[in-house]
Amino acid sequence: MSTAERSTTRPGSTPNRRSRQNFETWSWFFMRISGLILFFLALIHFSLTHIFHDVTTTTVSFVAKRWANPFWRVFDWLLLALGLLHGTNGLRFIMDDYVRNPRKRAAVKAFMYVLAVALFVLGTITIVTFKGNLAG
Amino acid sequence: MSPESTLYKGKTGQWAFVLHRVTGFLVLMFLLLHIVDVSMLSFPRIYNEIHALYGNVLMRLFEVGLLFGLVYHALNGLRVIMIDFFPGSIKNEKSVFYSIFSLTILLTIIGGFIILRPFFTGSVH
Ligand code: HEM
Repeated sequence: MSTAERSTTRPGSTPNRRSRQNFETWSWFFMRISGLILFFLALIHFSLTHIFHDVTTTTVSFVAKRWANPFWRVFDWLLLALGLLHGTNGLRFIMDDYVRNPRKRAAVKAFMYVLAVALFVLGTITIVTFKGNLAG
Repeated sequence: MSPESTLYKGKTGQWAFVLHRVTGFLVLMFLLLHIVDVSMLSFPRIYNEIHALYGNVLMRLFEVGLLFGLVYHALNGLRVIMIDFFPGSIKNEKSVFYSIFSLTILLTIIGGFIILRPFFTGSVH
């Protein structure tokens, strides 16, 4: 690093700040790319389950018919994964804005990450292990 | 987060930003709940029973609210992406915002009509 660069950087914070900034740029980019994909996934999903079919007909056998085709399992899994990542990262922005106390902020974030991971695992297990013909 | 993450907020109006935040948060809360109710697929009878609840009037109204939130967040998200990736592509930000809001209302009314119709025709309670 050049002397000129060092003189403009706050002392004691160089490597950490650099990687944090990279992460925030990446996160900013991710929100936009995942938003674009979710635009189609989420709106198609909602239309299928609430507009083109009545919600009362989306029973186990409805799911069984849909998930017989691997395309829809992949579709739903992508919606699960991107929705959780995009939503949890968005929630992280919101916590950064409103939870000012550093210790509280760390605790709230830890809680929401654990919850998101747990629900991601639960959702993935549901999609992968579902065997439709049991229910009829 | 520091202002970097919400750079667009001063430019396009506080309301667009607040509503984007509130709808994003509410859609996420619904997603969390929805992952749990769908996980009941492993217990088909429980799944069908829980799922029948989505057909009652209160839940249908809630679904119309979800539609509003999702459509607004999706359209406004596209607006934000346009502004960030193609600066200058949106000339009149205010009128673009009003168009998005009107389109959201219109789609919510049409979708809401379809979602609530079984209630009016008496096929649900
Ligand atoms: C349907 C298409 C979607 C698009 C186009 C979209 C777009 C965006 C964009 C561009 C941002 C970043 C705003 C910023 O940097 O300040 C954002 C934030 C956010 N999104 Fe989405 N999103 C979509 C779906 C979703 C879904 C399904 C959820 C919930 C699971 C969600 C939850 C959030 C949350 C909580 C935020 C943070 C809001 C804030 O910082 O104020 N979004 N969205």
